[in-house]
Amino acid sequence: MIKFLPLVVRNVARNKIRSLFTCLSIAVSLFLVVMLYSFLTVQDEMTVASRVYNRLIVMNVQGLAGNVPIAYVDRIRKLDGVRSATSFSWFGGKYRDEKIVFGQFGVDPQSVADVYEDYVVPPDQLQAFQADRTGCVVGALLAKNKGWSIGDKVPLKGDIYPVNLELTVRGIYDGSSSIDREMLWFHFDYLDESLKAARSTMAGNAGIVVLRAKSAEAMNRLTEDIELAFASSDAPVKALTEKQFQAEFMSYMGDVRAFIRYTSIAIVIALLCVAANTMAMALRERTREIALFKAIGFSQANVLSLFLGEAVVIGALGGVVGCLGAKLLFATVDFSKMLPGLGWLYVPWSTALAGVALAASIGLVSGVVPAWRAAHLSVLEGLRKVV
Amino acid sequence: MSEHADAVVALLNVSKEFMRDKIRIPVLSNTTLHIPRGDFVAVMGPSGSGKSTLLNLCAGLDRPTTGEVIVNGQNLGDLSEAGLSRWRSENLGFIFQSYNLMPVLTAQENVELPLLLTPLRRAERRKHAAAALAIVGLEDRADHYPRQLSGGQEQRVAIARALANDPVLLLADEPTGNLDAASAQDVLDLLVQLNDHYGTTIIMVTHDPKAARRAKRLLHLEKGDFVQADIDALEAAR
Ligand SMILES: Nc1ncnc2c1ncn2[C@@H]1O[C@H](COP(=O)(O)OP(=O)(O)O)[C@@H](O)[C@H]1O
Ligand SMILES: [Mg+2]
Repeated sequence: MIKFLPLVVRNVARNKIRSLFTCLSIAVSLFLVVMLYSFLTVQDEMTVASRVYNRLIVMNVQGLAGNVPIAYVDRIRKLDGVRSATSFSWFGGKYRDEKIVFGQFGVDPQSVADVYEDYVVPPDQLQAFQADRTGCVVGALLAKNKGWSIGDKVPLKGDIYPVNLELTVRGIYDGSSSIDREMLWFHFDYLDESLKAARSTMAGNAGIVVLRAKSAEAMNRLTEDIELAFASSDAPVKALTEKQFQAEFMSYMGDVRAFIRYTSIAIVIALLCVAANTMAMALRERTREIALFKAIGFSQANVLSLFLGEAVVIGALGGVVGCLGAKLLFATVDFSKMLPGLGWLYVPWSTALAGVALAASIGLVSGVVPAWRAAHLSVLEGLRKVV
Repeated sequence: MSEHADAVVALLNVSKEFMRDKIRIPVLSNTTLHIPRGDFVAVMGPSGSGKSTLLNLCAGLDRPTTGEVIVNGQNLGDLSEAGLSRWRSENLGFIFQSYNLMPVLTAQENVELPLLLTPLRRAERRKHAAAALAIVGLEDRADHYPRQLSGGQEQRVAIARALANDPVLLLADEPTGNLDAASAQDVLDLLVQLNDHYGTTIIMVTHDPKAARRAKRLLHLEKGDFVQADIDALEAAR
């Protein structure tokens, strides 16, 4: 069959404009599909990568908006199997006149570096952060996008909270591409004291508590222990793994996974129609030629594979351009400024290659009917048009 | 039976009829025909008399309503659809009135086309194709595309394509029908030469008495049967 490849390629190049447009539709659509799926794969990768740190997230049974009293942090620390724990309180303040809010969290400066060991802060910067009540540590990507360096002031205007924070960058954390490098951590106490000074009823809420268990076994046990420990209090809580938390968090946006899946299916169906139309036109134009091929000894199987081959080449070409294009684009262009909060997004090889395979399969499926018809075309009918 | 054994083509009591709108169209009726190895037969006859049908039957592109078609010792009725394809690629050369070259392939590549179906390697395929092009005198046009060739040259490439697999039988359906007199002459010279030098058996359908004269013998198709005919008598009768 490899022998036919040059012929197949010539046939693809035959109607250049038509092939080009078909390839382009496939490329553009696959670019989109690959990006959407990368969003899912990379998030999964991130949760998988962080599993070794045995983190649990404790939040109010009613969800993220519920209250978790700050005293819980200490009580959780004392539970058997807990290695360290920190509050993780979402501030959500406005930075200058920016519309999009980035992640700002009130943490325990003594514990946070241990809980998030994979978020690496240089030791001297960590010390500086711990020593400065209004200090903050920011992710490397965030620092880059905002143009911050150590010592820079970061004023945050309260939006949910009735207080403003005047922060100073004391440290920059970094790590592998599987961590979120767009967060800002500040002293929980600084927020809490400001709230108390403002006589706000919002003081004393840890938001959520993130703990690091001593081992994976301890983690399983802790999930139950924690729920039991606070079951009869005013603020009962639940403990989730990062994976569960991720899923719960996503569910606030609706079923993103299903949305991406259905969108992709719709795109694939549309592409099938486009590609099938291209092959049907090719078939119509080449009736004579197909008859000739058969007259000189090409079998039905030969004709079938010529047409299917052509459809697969068109699909794969579009796939390569779209999917590898997406991969290349994300590898060379920094989108964290354009897509705030999505700075972690990149296109994994597995997703890009799966996209190419999908495109080739779209080609294959779109070619089945035209190829079958070509293979079963009556030579006599075709030749009567010829002679 | 000796005649039969020596024949490249044997039609035994062949009838062929088509159905169109529930009306039977008889084309061949109980015809028996032997064409010996090395023969060069011209087939003439009015339009619609069944000349192309004869070639299609010999090529296994169509099956007789009754009777048997035996080509080079192979009863075509015994072969499946796929078997016929394979058999055609190994035994047959086909030339059409319109040359039917692939526009996206060079002359050389067009000639190589039937060789793709053989186990020959790439280098051997090229050699065979080059040899076939040399026979038709177009070795210097190997890299030209069909649109860069004249009608006569295109038809010669088509002949080279038909020769590439070294066929025992060459079927030509009005091969000069689209050509000017000079080009037609070239093509006919070529067919005669193939028949003379290589002993290729040729059946050529034609309307042109000048073309028919170049063949070894003439068959006239009339009312569903073949008659040995004499070209001069035929011309005189007109
Ligand atoms: N596939 C077919 N279906 C119906 N009728 C056909 C078919 N092929 C040929 N015929 C009829 O059979 C007769 C012989 O056709 P053909 O062999 O093409 O004639 P020729 O080549 O001598 O002009 C014509 O009447 C033609 O209309
Ligand atoms: Mg005819």
